[in-house]
Amino acid sequence: MKILVLGLGNPILSDDCVGLRVTQIIQELVKQPEVTILESSVAGLDFIDLLTGYDKAILIDAIQTGDGKVGQIYRSSLGDLAATRHSCTPHDINLATAIKLGNRLNLPLPRDIVIFAIEVKDVNTLSEKCTKEVEQAIPLCVDMVIAELNSSDQN
Amino acid sequence: MASCKATDAVYHVEPPLAARKLRELFYCAHMMHSHIAHFYALAAPDFVLGPTSNPAERNILGVVAKVGLPIASEVIKHRAYAQDIQATIGGKATHPVCGVPGGMSKVITEEERKGFEEKAKSCVEFAQFSLKLFSDVVLSNKEYMSLITGNIYTMKSYYMGLVDANNKVNFYDGDIRVMDEEGKEVAKFKPAQYLDYISEHAEPWSYLKFPFLKKVGWKGFVEGKDSGIYRVAPLARLNVADGMATPLAQAEYEKMFSTFGARPIHSTMAFHWARLIELLYASERLLELSQDKEITSPIIRTIPSATPDEGVGVVEAPRGTLIHHYQTDANGIIKKANLIVATCQNYAAMNMSIKKVAQGIIKKGTEVTEGVLNMVEMAFRAYDPCIGCATHALVGQAPLEVTIYDSQGEVIQKIERY
Repeated sequence: MKILVLGLGNPILSDDCVGLRVTQIIQELVKQPEVTILESSVAGLDFIDLLTGYDKAILIDAIQTGDGKVGQIYRSSLGDLAATRHSCTPHDINLATAIKLGNRLNLPLPRDIVIFAIEVKDVNTLSEKCTKEVEQAIPLCVDMVIAELNSSDQN
Repeated sequence: MASCKATDAVYHVEPPLAARKLRELFYCAHMMHSHIAHFYALAAPDFVLGPTSNPAERNILGVVAKVGLPIASEVIKHRAYAQDIQATIGGKATHPVCGVPGGMSKVITEEERKGFEEKAKSCVEFAQFSLKLFSDVVLSNKEYMSLITGNIYTMKSYYMGLVDANNKVNFYDGDIRVMDEEGKEVAKFKPAQYLDYISEHAEPWSYLKFPFLKKVGWKGFVEGKDSGIYRVAPLARLNVADGMATPLAQAEYEKMFSTFGARPIHSTMAFHWARLIELLYASERLLELSQDKEITSPIIRTIPSATPDEGVGVVEAPRGTLIHHYQTDANGIIKKANLIVATCQNYAAMNMSIKKVAQGIIKKGTEVTEGVLNMVEMAFRAYDPCIGCATHALVGQAPLEVTIYDSQGEVIQKIERY
């Protein structure tokens, strides 16, 4: 099974980099040839380019639900996700639409897409560091992603 | 790319010709990916499905269902070509890392050049197809043409864009040319002189400022020659230029102006047509540059030797004229930066366009349906706005609020979508 671990985010907007930070640690820990680990700051139609050719994709990104606790980590599938701020820009389409389009075109997109979203506090301040509570969530998210990879091995 | 050019200016260094060609080639690919995404994902649904069609279908998936999978595959394929070319030259398609003061950081191999050439040939054909699709779906539809040429989507303004030495459209370099609403050139200046021509007005209700022509002045949100408001982006670029620098795009340019029978064209919906003509130009120019063996030259950088201080870099972003202005210390650390972003340049016009459409189609007794709101939104969408860049902040969906007043000025209905 070919698996993509994709960290998403903006590296200079504080907590928005958390997906990238998690991925950077996983890059050091996971050395399986069937697992590709990438970081990206893209949205919209670019998702189709990134996800094509994999059987499973694990996406890691920041989220602000409005009433969640900062540092909380959600595991969800694509269907659970409403349009989000960062997978949607005014001049492109959102993640869910991009995947639907790719499937409609019979592109070899992952059958299984898992999203780990970390509830964050600040995505507006220019900084390369996460806030304290989000920083503390990073190792927990790394463990969750590795557990997800291990469970994929067994399937 | 504006940043690259601004840092060249800060260091008083001119990149070698091969580097300038490579940057322009990259930049044509950038234009292509953006224009393809906007037309097919954002603009086409309004025309292919209809402005007041079911919103659940009025999206790229609805377009695919109507035009067919083979065409949709071509859209994805050619956009991916443009992204691949950018990634090969720039390291990454989005947020490239190839620009350095004085040139570029990575040479292109002959194998890569051949790859660009093959992709470019395909892109030229795809751009021609896109224009044909626009002609079949939009230009042949009397109802759409009536909408496009009608008063509510028309706005008279000044126009601004970069032109080359022959006054043809150029995305990467040139002088900034300004034309009035009657088609007369009123200014042509070097990027470094922008502050002599452009000022910015601020309103308390927005983070985004409103650039205007300094010599004409800010007169409020009004049209006409006495108002300093100007427009940028595809229609503006074609309006201020004397033509396109490539043959197929030139033919389409002539067809567009002949159809409207006027120059400049003031119809906001014509931005979509102009965008596709630019797609064709970008593809042709990319092909020209990819066939130029100089782009594989190893001489792609002039090492700066002057002390850095201040510089301005201007390019044509997909959404319009983009200005970067930096002041640095002697070590090249930026101390002050001024960015006038393309969408910012169009902001006054966007507000006016939206208001004009809303006032034009919402009359006494009009039921304000989702379709009516979409027609208002179409005035905004034509500009292909990026409010995130323009305000240097992030946004989610495109919020919309319509307030309807009676003749006494009392609010009788407020529709909010955010």
